[in-house]
Amino acid sequence: MSTPDGPVTPVAGPGHVPTEPSLDPRGVRFAAALTTVVLVLVLLAGSGWLAAAQAVVFGLGAFAGMRFAPYSLLYRALLARRLGPPAEREDAAPVRFSQLVGFLFAVVAAVGYLTGLTTLGIVATAFALAAAFLNAAFGFCLGCEMYTLISRTRARFRSRNPHTAEGATA
Amino acid sequence: MNTTGLWVVLGVLVVATVAGLVLRARSGRVRTSARPTGRSAPTAGWSLAGHAPADDDRVLLLQVSSPVCTPCRQTAALLDDLSTTTPGLVHVEVDVADRPEVASELGIMRTPTVVAFDRSGAELLRVSGVPRRPDLEAALAPALSA
Repeated sequence: MSTPDGPVTPVAGPGHVPTEPSLDPRGVRFAAALTTVVLVLVLLAGSGWLAAAQAVVFGLGAFAGMRFAPYSLLYRALLARRLGPPAEREDAAPVRFSQLVGFLFAVVAAVGYLTGLTTLGIVATAFALAAAFLNAAFGFCLGCEMYTLISRTRARFRSRNPHTAEGATA
Repeated sequence: MNTTGLWVVLGVLVVATVAGLVLRARSGRVRTSARPTGRSAPTAGWSLAGHAPADDDRVLLLQVSSPVCTPCRQTAALLDDLSTTTPGLVHVEVDVADRPEVASELGIMRTPTVVAFDRSGAELLRVSGVPRRPDLEAALAPALSA
């Protein structure tokens, strides 16, 4: 990569406003691995309560910020110091968005399992597991990729309903 | 322990592994565009980028990014460097959050995707993911010297 060595500040894209400190990418992968394990356990045990607990974990990262994400806290407490400073850092916004996507799936999973709609619970957990595994094993952020598709769909919806366009841009 | 759950776990892990390997193989690879693109009018690339080609501009690299995208930043840094060191090469980054119509127009599903256009506006190639620099340079060389 052509980025200079040393502490790399993420290059700001257009319209990008950094609001949170950047993240250690190894911590992100660690959190994804832990999420993968928890979601496997959800499916094996068929436990709605475990899915709900994972939803809380996602929700803390998504709504309170990655500083308060439990798995990131665990990474910092247990591993970060032993591994030394990271070679590069990762912008927090994409990760936070993926936590929001994970939160929605985990909530649907928990509701499904706990209300007896087991198939719904299984399907939602399976999608969340696929995303968490892709992130842990390949560093691929499925939740982030979905942003593009969502933007396109929203744009099509807006152009079809012009009166909703005003002030609709987030 | 329930068997349905076990099968779902195994199925998801197999499918996700295959998907991950495919994505990794595709990521950053230069794909030459089929020539007449047909879908977009000539000079579409330059007008989508909001950039009229100057006399010595040869190739436009239109990068479609999203605000929630780590490889987009790496790609932007790489292409900024490439365009400042390569005469005739222009790099423009657009954000799907601001201009989703660009992604729709070009049929882009993932970010970052870089689409290269020659001076006449014909599409040369595409790269999804962080481009592999030597491959990209080699693929652009003919159009840059044209």
